[in-house]
Amino acid sequence: MESQKVTRRDFLSGVAATAAFTIVPRHVLGGPGRISANEKLNIAAIGSGGMGAANINACSSENIVALCDVDDRHAAGTFNKFPKAGKYKDFRVMLDKEDKNIDAVIVATPDHTHAVAAMACIKRRKHVYCQKPLAHSIYEVRMLTEAARKYKVQTQMGNQGHSSNEIRLLYEWIQDGAIGPVREVHTWSDRPVGGHPWSDFPIMARPKETPPVPDTLDWDLWLGPVRYRPYHPIYCPTTWRGWWDFGTGALGDMGCHIIDPVFWALKLGAPARVEASTTHYKPEVASETYPRASVVRYEFPSRGQMPPVKLTWYDGRLLPPRPKDLEPGRKLGTNGALLIGEKGTIMHGSHGAGGVRIVPEAKMRAYDRPSKILPRVKGGSGGHEQDWVRACKNGKPASSNFDYGGPLTEMVLLGVLAMRLKNTPLEWDSENLKVTNCDEADKYVKPVFREGWTL
Amino acid sequence: MKDREKSNQRNNRISRRDFMGAAAAVAAFTVVPRHVLGGPRQIPPSEKVNIAGVGVGGQGGGDINNVSSQNIVALCDVDWNRAGGTFRRHPNARKYKDFRVMLDKEDKNIDAVVVATPDHVHAVASITAIKRGKHVYCEKPLTHSVYEARMVAEAAREHKVATQMGNQGQASEGTRLICENIWGGAIGHVREVHVWTDRPLRGLSDVYWPQGVGRPEDTPPVPDKLDWDLWLGPAPERPYHPAYVPFRWRGWWDFGTGALGDIGCHSIDPIWRALKLKAPLSVHAACTLVNNETYPVASRVTYQFGARGDMPPVKLHWYDGGMRPPRPDELDDGQTFGDNGTLFVGDKGKMLGYRIIPESRRKEFGNAPKVLERSPGHHQEWIDACKGGKPAGSNFDHAGPLAEAVLLGNVALRPSIKEKLTRVNLLWDSANMKITNVPEANQYLHRQYREGYSL
Repeated sequence: MESQKVTRRDFLSGVAATAAFTIVPRHVLGGPGRISANEKLNIAAIGSGGMGAANINACSSENIVALCDVDDRHAAGTFNKFPKAGKYKDFRVMLDKEDKNIDAVIVATPDHTHAVAAMACIKRRKHVYCQKPLAHSIYEVRMLTEAARKYKVQTQMGNQGHSSNEIRLLYEWIQDGAIGPVREVHTWSDRPVGGHPWSDFPIMARPKETPPVPDTLDWDLWLGPVRYRPYHPIYCPTTWRGWWDFGTGALGDMGCHIIDPVFWALKLGAPARVEASTTHYKPEVASETYPRASVVRYEFPSRGQMPPVKLTWYDGRLLPPRPKDLEPGRKLGTNGALLIGEKGTIMHGSHGAGGVRIVPEAKMRAYDRPSKILPRVKGGSGGHEQDWVRACKNGKPASSNFDYGGPLTEMVLLGVLAMRLKNTPLEWDSENLKVTNCDEADKYVKPVFREGWTL
Repeated sequence: MKDREKSNQRNNRISRRDFMGAAAAVAAFTVVPRHVLGGPRQIPPSEKVNIAGVGVGGQGGGDINNVSSQNIVALCDVDWNRAGGTFRRHPNARKYKDFRVMLDKEDKNIDAVVVATPDHVHAVASITAIKRGKHVYCEKPLTHSVYEARMVAEAAREHKVATQMGNQGQASEGTRLICENIWGGAIGHVREVHVWTDRPLRGLSDVYWPQGVGRPEDTPPVPDKLDWDLWLGPAPERPYHPAYVPFRWRGWWDFGTGALGDIGCHSIDPIWRALKLKAPLSVHAACTLVNNETYPVASRVTYQFGARGDMPPVKLHWYDGGMRPPRPDELDDGQTFGDNGTLFVGDKGKMLGYRIIPESRRKEFGNAPKVLERSPGHHQEWIDACKGGKPAGSNFDHAGPLAEAVLLGNVALRPSIKEKLTRVNLLWDSANMKITNVPEANQYLHRQYREGYSL
């Protein structure tokens, strides 16, 4: 196992290899200490409002020892709920002061801070639960995945659908050959116009006005590694998802949920090629926010017996054409996926193949389901955080640990990158983290951090 | 020889009419006013055609220039400012604002009419002229609604007038090469075609006209030289706003026909000819958020056509607003895919426009036999037809069904219908001009006119 790791790292480009070596602080070599099943984990959180609050609540069986958020008001609900937990604004300060008190950390900041926060924890040998997408750039994802392996910490990405029963059904049906070899997949999301505060993202030029920063918010810390810009309420607390600098758009938000099942069942791995079309046209808007709609096309090479796959992503309420197997009257959901096999079609919704069915329904009913080959996660999607808690205690990896969540996120983020370079088919060399036919892509693969921030 | 051809054509026309459905035939009879039975005046080739223009600014100005070898006897425009250039070039032509008045007063002086108004006035202007036995050149799309397209084509047949729709590309060498390549077996049987336009975008960083926007609330004064009431014509009453006129009416449901209507009759025309398409069997669409005021920012429309003779069924995918199909592998690096284009997918190869790809297949195939007559020019075809020559290439027997298919796509994009299309495709019964499985969609095949306007 150890020698395999070295080999994999040796294949990385010089830059990456150097970076990998620099992230090894000597004092932590040796891996985290074991916690018995009877003991409670001491958990800290970075980003304690919004989705973070839900993740923390799901771990409240354990000791919540420290909470960090750059905005006291946004985190107030969680802060009040855990009065004994230490409260911090800067995760670096929290990790310094509480180092000895923390076993594990939940990272649920905006996307642009995932990597720096998660990496700081991993380097201190803390187990990490990190919201999806794992990071904001492909390079960050790769570094996190590598580091988690190196430091032998237990990890889980927050794509809770990966703990569902249905994603396991899909996996088993595909291995069973239920629809034959699959060459064509369609996936879609209604974002950035989902119709809810959390699913509607701004599509606009950068605001010029500079309203005062709210008392409770440390704007500089919110920005973290991203180049400075003045505060504006259009960025936070929720609508950062629509901005290139902070979020990862509809695909980054939902891809780790919606493409997850097929990525797993078809063992897709790294795409060879990706190309995106978008609705963007105004340079001042296109350079700031994600598009109103996009279509992203991935091509995956063959994997063992499995043939090459063309996977298409649609957002902004675009949808694929209805496949011939889909009965009239049967709805293409607001978020979902279609797997077109040689012998049939499977349709499912978001979050871990929700509502997975072979279509048409008659074929589903006639299907002689295979016996279970995959163990189920206790509690399904709702047990996703606890699956990580379990992993931290017994050392058996959680369902969407970074060895899985990392490559999944890299694939998703490559599609996001393709939107920046729209209508350009990009050839991807995953091993070397390099778009081989477009040097301009390098700056999107690996971002430049603001001074004071490193991985 | 010429006479024999002519008489054959007439016979063809009659027998084609006999094939029409009963409902259409009844409608055709109702549009025959007794006083004009007998057809248009015979114009010997040595004489000039007396032409009037309805809508003579913008594209209309170009059309009038293209027929100015003939006598331009009368010009009509609701905006004398916009029509100024054309008016000055033809100082001897009488000037009008209301085409109904012009056709009344100039009835005896006019042989033919060029209609280049906004889309919502095409049908009423064309049919008024046709009923008076005038030959008609009408800009694309032929009409604003499916029903209008059917009625205009019927009337033209009934009154035996020479017609041409303004899709000038039909006269091009490219259109002929597309047909000859496909008929010559260059790419085998075609089951899939992709056609895309950047519109309403203009390339990657500009916009021709806005879509996906709401109705303006302010009511600026109507410019001096514009008769707003006549501009509205048959469309529902609303206050003047520069958001509509000139040119940007294209994005509004009440006036224009969106990206599909603007470009579909151009770019689908060669596909229609080469694949000998007839009415589609079904249509499906998906688009960005759409309201009842303007067309969506981007859309994908998919038509299913049945088999034609030995040609297999074919799916036609339309994309606009920046969406496009994936760049085909067969296209060599460095070759342009284009902001607008057509991709034919055959079982022996592909064609990007008339260009066979890959290059190796193009070389292997060589040149298809030239079986199609070349055009003397798009406008000249019509002038020749007015003088008793053969029907122009995009006469309404051809253009009517083409425009119907294009406009049927817009029915699928209507806000209230779009949601239905998550469950079904719209099934089209062309003979009875009826969407059979979503009854409420039929309301969008036509609309009530304002008083004073009829077909």
